[in-house]
Amino acid sequence: MSGLKLRNVKKSFGAVDVIKGVDLDIEDKQFVVFVGPSGCGKSTLLRMIAGLEQISSGDLFIGDKRMNDIDPAHRGIAMVFQSYALYPHMTVRENMGFALKFAGRPKDEIARRVDEAARILELGKLLDRKPGQLSGGQRQRVAIGRAIVRHPDVFLFDEPLSNLDAELRVHMRIEIARLHKELNTTIIYVTHDQVEAMTLADKIVVLRDGIIEQAGSPLELYDDPNNLFVAGFIGSPKMNLLTGTVEAGGIRLADFPNDLIPSPIAIPAGTAVTVGIRPEHFDPTGTAALDTSVEIIEHLGGETYAYARGTGSNLLTIATDNNRTLKTGDRYQARFNPASLLVFGRDGKRLR
Amino acid sequence: MSNPLALIGRIATYLLLTVAAFVSVFPFLWMVIGATNLSADIIRGKVTPGGALLQNISVFFSSVDMPRILFNSFLIAGLGTALTLLVSSLAGYGFEMFRSKVREKIFAGLLLMLSIPFAALMIPLFIMMANFKMINTYQAILLPTVASIFIIFYFRQATKAFPHELRDAARIDGLKEWQIFLYVYMPVMRSTYAAATIIVFMANWNNYLWPLIVLQTNEMKTLTLVVAGLTSAYTPDFGVIMVGAIFATLPTLIIFFLLQRRFVEGMLGAVK
Ligand SMILES: Nc1ncnc2c1ncn2[C@@H]1O[C@H](COP(=O)(O)OP(=O)(O)O)[C@@H](O)[C@H]1O
Ligand SMILES: [Mg+2]
Repeated sequence: MSGLKLRNVKKSFGAVDVIKGVDLDIEDKQFVVFVGPSGCGKSTLLRMIAGLEQISSGDLFIGDKRMNDIDPAHRGIAMVFQSYALYPHMTVRENMGFALKFAGRPKDEIARRVDEAARILELGKLLDRKPGQLSGGQRQRVAIGRAIVRHPDVFLFDEPLSNLDAELRVHMRIEIARLHKELNTTIIYVTHDQVEAMTLADKIVVLRDGIIEQAGSPLELYDDPNNLFVAGFIGSPKMNLLTGTVEAGGIRLADFPNDLIPSPIAIPAGTAVTVGIRPEHFDPTGTAALDTSVEIIEHLGGETYAYARGTGSNLLTIATDNNRTLKTGDRYQARFNPASLLVFGRDGKRLR
Repeated sequence: MSNPLALIGRIATYLLLTVAAFVSVFPFLWMVIGATNLSADIIRGKVTPGGALLQNISVFFSSVDMPRILFNSFLIAGLGTALTLLVSSLAGYGFEMFRSKVREKIFAGLLLMLSIPFAALMIPLFIMMANFKMINTYQAILLPTVASIFIIFYFRQATKAFPHELRDAARIDGLKEWQIFLYVYMPVMRSTYAAATIIVFMANWNNYLWPLIVLQTNEMKTLTLVVAGLTSAYTPDFGVIMVGAIFATLPTLIIFFLLQRRFVEGMLGAVK
């Protein structure tokens, strides 16, 4: 019952346009991740949904109700902040019950809901501590607990894990995924970390400079990016992007003047293009090849990455199918199947 | 302590601190000793405790209407402090939390006004109070001080450490702006309030020039005025003056020791 609809939503701070017209549909119970480089407007968009920033123009619907002018407290949302924003002078219990107390709920109901959230997040032992006496991970859980207690229709998370160390981040990521299953509500989650986006999302919304570059499931974005930006942003290690020109028999890459590679699609000769291939799409059994020289080898145990180049200075990242004998300075035939190539025009749009 | 240079440095530090401690404590000590001596002994330069304390105290109480004077002093200093903190912290909060095009201009204008000496404001202020028919009232003392530019500035600086996300969280929790101020900002900033309390209370308690001008009848006078008035007698009794000075110093001392820890935190700008 609580999907969201954004219709041509815009935001400007004075003369600066930060959100430049966003149209988006979020289904009930979906886990949606806003991802994009820092400063692209993710937090601003989230805060507009929360009601913390006025919407300059356009419409926001939560459920069927237009929410543009509704108070944050009455939008059926709860938010978890990057800095946790726990009230430092209150105990964990008071922090979690504060909104309910303010809404005038009876004491026993508050206690019951706080205890319920504490059970879900295993916060029982911490209830009488102050935030200052908690570790980063514990504060994070309290912040989530404070959101849960309100029984919101929509959870909003703004980079909730970015203040945690790497190990805890992975742990909390799994925790949040579990929470989504357990609470069964809509979640909108902001991050600049595409791994977080890939692992958590039902639907990823890639933002850049206040517009949506592409929205879709993680694998849609991975397999079928609409433009160079999304192709480069989604996936780790990053997709290799090489400039070239289309000739009669295929594409000639600037860095590999001696290899004419077959084009996966029909493009008029003379077109300037950028070709993308993911490191993991190199395949020793592939039918096409690039002749490279290896600069750096990275052994991860399960996989071996080679950083190699042609005549230019760009390093290609190549998954070598765990080739453990490869050495720096070797010549390496980076083979691949032409079908796994993605081709983009010079304007960055995908050519299909 | 193997390094002789470090040792010398340490000794120098201690010497310096000892001198500084002596300089700051001596007047206080002298005041307390003076209260136990007769005026004649004090003039002679006696610096050992004497036996005239009770006599000095009884003379002081017989020449001064203490209950009334203390009431005036505490009312003016206490209410003045409460009002100043409320008004000035509201202003500091507003200046820091809300963006506006003219914000910095207004603030710069305020700071500029700090450079106008009180002596230049005194006469226009007096005429203003006279027009309002407020001469010789408590309002005349309180009103000009409640919006303290220095305290506004101090609160604005301290508020820079107050996380905006705390205000956002409170808004989502359903608090109105004044409730955020009351239930989140004020408790979080309590160290700042403590430090400001000491500063403002002391300033109000010791305020001399302006009360001297607008408080004109004896039953309106503050302790500071009365003690100062004792010195202008034909033959000032220094023992009695010292007793008065002790009473005049005591409240600020007590407040300082009560709030000392918070004062230091507040000066360091700690938001915990
Ligand atoms: N209150 C504000 N006033 C003016 N500019 C702002 C304000 N908030 C954000 N911005 C600007 O909007 C842009 C997007 O910010 P933000 O949404 O925080 O980015 P992100 O969360 O994606 O890193 C930034 O360039 C930022 O400087
Ligand atoms: Mg952000």
